[in-house]
Amino acid sequence: MTATLTAPTAAPVRAGAPADALAGIGTMVRLVVRRNRVRLGVWVVVLVGMLAYVASYYQEIFPTQASLDDFAALSDTPGIRALTGLSPAADTLGGAVWTKSWMTIALSLAIGVAFLVVRNGRADEEAGRTELLRSRMLGVHAYGVASWLVNGALCVVVGLGVAFVSASGGLDPDGAGVAGSLVLGASVTGVGLVGLGIGAVAGQVTTTSRGANALASGVIVGCYVLRMIGDLGDGTLTWASPIGWGQEMQPFGANRVWPLALLVLLAAGLLGVAAALEARRDLGAGLVPERAGRPGAPERYTAPLGLGLRLQRGPVIGWSVTVVLCGLLFGSIIEAMNELIADAEAGPAQDFLRGSGVDALLAMLASMIGLVTAVFATQSAVSLRADEASGIIEPQLAGALSRRRWAWQRLAIPIVGSAALLALGGTILGAVHGSLTDDASAVGTLAGAALAYWPAVMVLVGVAVALFGWLPRLAIPLTWGFMAAMWFATMLGEVFGLPQWLLDGLPFSAVPYVPAEPMAWTPLLLLTLVAAGLAWSGVERFARRDVQPG
Amino acid sequence: MPASEMAVEVSGLTKSFGTVHALRGLDLTVPTGEVTGFLGPNGSGKSTTIRILLGLLRADGGRATVLGGDPWVDAVRLHRSIAYVPGDVTLWPNLTGGEAIDILARLSGPLDPARKAAMLERFELDPTKKARTYSKGNRQKVALVAALASDAELLLLDEPTSGLDPLMEAAFTESIREVKAAGRSVLLSSHIFAEVEKLADRVTIIREGVTVESGTITELRHLTRSQLTVVLPRGADGLARVPGVHDLQSADGHVTFAVDDAALPGVLAEVARLEPISIVANPPSLEELFLRHYGDELAALTNGGQK
Ligand SMILES: Nc1ncnc2c1ncn2[C@@H]1O[C@H](COP(=O)(O)OP(=O)(O)OP(=O)(O)O)[C@@H](O)[C@H]1O
Ligand SMILES: [Mg+2]
Repeated sequence: MTATLTAPTAAPVRAGAPADALAGIGTMVRLVVRRNRVRLGVWVVVLVGMLAYVASYYQEIFPTQASLDDFAALSDTPGIRALTGLSPAADTLGGAVWTKSWMTIALSLAIGVAFLVVRNGRADEEAGRTELLRSRMLGVHAYGVASWLVNGALCVVVGLGVAFVSASGGLDPDGAGVAGSLVLGASVTGVGLVGLGIGAVAGQVTTTSRGANALASGVIVGCYVLRMIGDLGDGTLTWASPIGWGQEMQPFGANRVWPLALLVLLAAGLLGVAAALEARRDLGAGLVPERAGRPGAPERYTAPLGLGLRLQRGPVIGWSVTVVLCGLLFGSIIEAMNELIADAEAGPAQDFLRGSGVDALLAMLASMIGLVTAVFATQSAVSLRADEASGIIEPQLAGALSRRRWAWQRLAIPIVGSAALLALGGTILGAVHGSLTDDASAVGTLAGAALAYWPAVMVLVGVAVALFGWLPRLAIPLTWGFMAAMWFATMLGEVFGLPQWLLDGLPFSAVPYVPAEPMAWTPLLLLTLVAAGLAWSGVERFARRDVQPG
Repeated sequence: MPASEMAVEVSGLTKSFGTVHALRGLDLTVPTGEVTGFLGPNGSGKSTTIRILLGLLRADGGRATVLGGDPWVDAVRLHRSIAYVPGDVTLWPNLTGGEAIDILARLSGPLDPARKAAMLERFELDPTKKARTYSKGNRQKVALVAALASDAELLLLDEPTSGLDPLMEAAFTESIREVKAAGRSVLLSSHIFAEVEKLADRVTIIREGVTVESGTITELRHLTRSQLTVVLPRGADGLARVPGVHDLQSADGHVTFAVDDAALPGVLAEVARLEPISIVANPPSLEELFLRHYGDELAALTNGGQK
């Protein structure tokens, strides 16, 4: 054989954006719709349905202008301002419905769309499905843009549905046309689109879908907290948050349209950033290149607890920072609100607050620390099933490690970690608030108020473990579904006519509302027993059943 | 044979997943100090069997003994003496290969750093890379190094070489020979016939959850057929009817047929009577046997009672 030298015929490697970046987008749009049609449908039905339900319920319980005036007066509490924002037109039917449901709908849509974008972006890339797609006639951006289009359409459809329900339900004030309804729908769509942009960027930055989901929801929750502080203060920080922009469109009040432009511009900017990042990076890579690591593991990784702590290091640090920030921010705003807090008499409209004044606000902030901790604990508890599903548990259990020891050591992280997070958040909240009001006892009181949520958080962990043991294949969605259902029931339970005993029995409602209410030990003991029973039954079942990957 | 001479003894094992009957009366033995090859088509139940032997799955029926204990009840105690290489290696994406090796190896006993270093060198594995950046073969090597660096009495290997390049396969062969020389036992599930032929003392072939063939390599060779091509100028008169001759084809005096190895002496005497002027024999290959067992000829073979 003779070797001949020939001039290179292959094209040189070129920099710049690949050509035909959108080739194949039609097929991809169909794929995204096909894969997510159930989820897309559920989001539309749930979000639009929620508004429809609240609207018809409020129409029933506020039949006169006098009753609406009462609602507006009684709703003007720091708690309502903090949690949902208060409509400047709270004395209209539309404003009342907005106050009750807008924040839930807009926030759910933003987070839901961000998760959907990650699911069809980073998650597929991580699983290697995108690689197969990209090997066909498919532009770099085709899959991503297809998913953005579908999810953008979801935001628009939800907004249109909201506007339609509002207009046909007569939420607009008499004689004002349907402008309020249109602005309402547009504000929901706008916030949803920003969620889409955040999800798209998050999916470019991290290499794992878990990381992308955490980043996206963290940013969205950060926006929520910003506007919360703004709404409690002079309103400046409200304008620093895209969720605040949506609020400030003030449907049924000022009916502003121009903040929608801000929302759309921000969303477009975020998508532009995401596209630029996607064009530059390799498939499967994130922004930070992988570095070399240690050639061996320390002895402590042999125990499931040590390894679990190492693997959950990111979330544990992230949640600790979140809780510390919550404590600092919450603690510092209360004092500034002193004038706002008049000791108004309690009324039926103070659904969220269960009282009034500083103590009720403190109790509500403690419960928010409880909620944040609950998300951490659930995430950590659900990782047991995630490790079984990925198959990573099998080589470990093939070692001299009993399933019970594995499970309980892993559960030590949510069990002990939750107590630590609650104590940390409550202590900081109390320390900041106490130092501003010269009240040394605030630290103990608020640490106790936050720690009172530990048994309730443990019930969520117990539910996660029981589902892991008994229904492994459904455990993860059911656990999150249970958490979401609990949250919806707490926020909207009475609207949906759920019986009072059920609402009072929900883990978070059963917790004494310290410091607005005195500490009560019986419910805490009961919750702890329920949690222990659930967790024990789940672990025992796991020890006796097949290991089921997949 | 007494139980102590068997590292693994399985009889009549059954396991269903809902309506899927993965195992329906499987028999398998792994004699102590020997390598047992475990073969079968995709979905025949090899991984299921190995996961039962590890106590990850609970058998529905039948008996299984591993190192003298019950794999489900005594799992933790037994696992101190077992090393496992899964067919599909999942690692912690953000830990390095070296960290994963240490964690897995230490779970079944103290880790010998010198052994680990030797195995890393033999398999040319960089232990400082994050698992998420490893290629498929390198992930496989992580599991192999963790298993081979241990002192386990019994190695359960589920397609351990899938994804390895030929050089690494040679390193694997060498390692298994060392394991065997040290008197340890190996159950080796594989789709690579040559590998099994090279390493295994005994072979068990399963199909659809049932053992269809089991014995030493030499015993199995007797079940194979040699391919003979002879030139018979006077014609192949009556040869097709000789017992042990199959698939006879003849053209221009060139006669091709397969012979059961057991019937070889008689057939050769008959051929000699026909005065051949040339004879070419292709030796029996295990691959052929496996392929016949994998395929539909199975029923005929087992019903014919050739075993
Ligand atoms: N968890 C499960 N649920 C349902 N069916 C299962 C499960 N695990 C295995 N099976 C089924 O059991 C049968 C045996 O599977 P197994 O994985 O043991 O095959 P295998 O011999 O290892 O195949 P391969 O050579 O492809 O690795 C297959 O039909 C498979 O689909
Ligand atoms: Mg298999």
